[in-house]
Amino acid sequence: MSGSIIPIKTTLVKLAYVTPTIRRLDAGGGNPFRHGHTNACTQIDGVSVASLAKEFGSPLFVFSEATLRRKYREAHRAFARHYPDVQFAWSYKTNYLNAICNAFHQEGAIAEVVSDFEYEKARHNGIPGRDIIFNGPYKSRESLMRAIDEKAMIQVDNLDELLTLTDIAKQRSIVVPIALRIHINTHTHEVWSKFGFSGDNGEAEQILRRLTTLDCLRLRGLHCHVGTFILDPVAYRIAASRLVELAVTAQAMNLGPIEYLNLGGGFASKARLHGQYLPPDQVTPSIDSYAEAICSTIQTLWPTSQKLPRLYLETGRALIDEAGWLISTVVAVKTRPIQGATTLPIAMAAYGKGGQDLTQSRSAHGKGLSHSLSAYGKNIHTQRGALTHNAIVIDAGVHLLYTATWYQPTILPAKATADPLSATTVYGCLCMNIDVVREEAPLPSLTTGDQIVMHPVGAYNVTQAMQFIQYRPAVVMIDEAGCPRIIRRKEDLRYVQEMEEMPAHLAKPN
Amino acid sequence: MSAKLDDLLLNDRGFAFDAVDGESYQLSPTALQLVRWMQAGDLEEAVLLDRLMDSYEVDEHTARRDLDSFLSTARELGWS
Repeated sequence: MSGSIIPIKTTLVKLAYVTPTIRRLDAGGGNPFRHGHTNACTQIDGVSVASLAKEFGSPLFVFSEATLRRKYREAHRAFARHYPDVQFAWSYKTNYLNAICNAFHQEGAIAEVVSDFEYEKARHNGIPGRDIIFNGPYKSRESLMRAIDEKAMIQVDNLDELLTLTDIAKQRSIVVPIALRIHINTHTHEVWSKFGFSGDNGEAEQILRRLTTLDCLRLRGLHCHVGTFILDPVAYRIAASRLVELAVTAQAMNLGPIEYLNLGGGFASKARLHGQYLPPDQVTPSIDSYAEAICSTIQTLWPTSQKLPRLYLETGRALIDEAGWLISTVVAVKTRPIQGATTLPIAMAAYGKGGQDLTQSRSAHGKGLSHSLSAYGKNIHTQRGALTHNAIVIDAGVHLLYTATWYQPTILPAKATADPLSATTVYGCLCMNIDVVREEAPLPSLTTGDQIVMHPVGAYNVTQAMQFIQYRPAVVMIDEAGCPRIIRRKEDLRYVQEMEEMPAHLAKPN
Repeated sequence: MSAKLDDLLLNDRGFAFDAVDGESYQLSPTALQLVRWMQAGDLEEAVLLDRLMDSYEVDEHTARRDLDSFLSTARELGWS
């Protein structure tokens, strides 16, 4: 036997990989690895994010039926505790996928629509006209006639609409029940004067006087939607107070009886506004605080000799936003130099101290200064003096996240990692420079193929998502048994081109 | 090997002190290993790439991209 040595091949377990990064530290900086694993969103309602993306593709909107039903029940219970006659109306524009609408209808919500299209959609979902609140600044004559025929609750937005209704009623020799939309300055935010009649300058009273001369219209309700994402329940106290005053005034004019007051919606979800200093858990009022503000005001001020009016609410965002997630996949990893970065203590800023010392990474996109990291307060690897800024490109973009203009979704990796968080620019997939989902999201190092999850994105994004450059993705809803079900299929070329027509002389390219 | 790289002081938790200019750095675990290999004399990108792929659960595409970025930063710092 020869004396040669046969090498033994061994298989070694390899080390977990994290991106090799070098970050300059200022004196006093802590060890960012001390925190261990970072937060991750590995599953939604018990279904793994990876399996959802694998089965339905990426990007993917995911809704939780259990969450939206729970949010509805919590909200309804909050109001029912304070008021004897409450009716919620699902705000179609917030998310009008039929499965979403029907889940709320099953819970007991009627429909609130703001256009001919939404009216048709509600009827298609089987909602009778009498259970439709018809809002909006533009209602066609045809849709008003249909709404009258079907006894929908028409909430008049402007004088032209009032005149159109008068004309229809006189033509048909009928009395049309209506409500008036009122805008009110609550001194908590800019008044939404686009909608309805002013409750502040005498315009509402002027319309009430006009109604006393119109036998063909009967006032049955007053409506006020003070705004959106209202963080101060006092706004509703002021609005409810003024609506009661106007109701009393109307009834003194022999209008009415006022059967209902509608305080609209606008309750905040746990989304985070750009520039919002504190996290949503500390900022977003409870639904109970809105309920208390509205219900106690009406009950205190409503004349004791008269029956309390029914209270309608049209909240959308507060019911659906947190029930929606967007799964997306990293398709490219980049770095970007930090231009003009000054480096100052983040930890102090998170607790409201040293406000002059915020890290101010000058935006590369002209959107001003971003302080987003500081508000998270912990588990953040500071980028003080970092040489470059992490950036990722994902397969979703602002065409799917219209609300990213006002809100910064929380972005979490879909798998836990020991890698520290660092400020990461999240670019969308559109060939547009403005397509930046987050200027600075605290993320671990990610690589292509990794999934991230954005939340809350359930309100307005699906309805405002546009087919632009990319197809719109599938939408699934995880039912209460934990089974994901498609509620909107991913678009394809056939769908996108379905409405196009080709003139014969252009049928061939050459 | 540059004097800066030779003088760079490291601990096992990724803290790095540049004794030449007094700057401090935090290296991720993978960056720490790369700097150690470089201090041991492995300065060629191809060699570092092989060692990275031999030692870590990483595909070649990711390793190449990240190593390129890492070496670029290291060169800026004079660690090459």
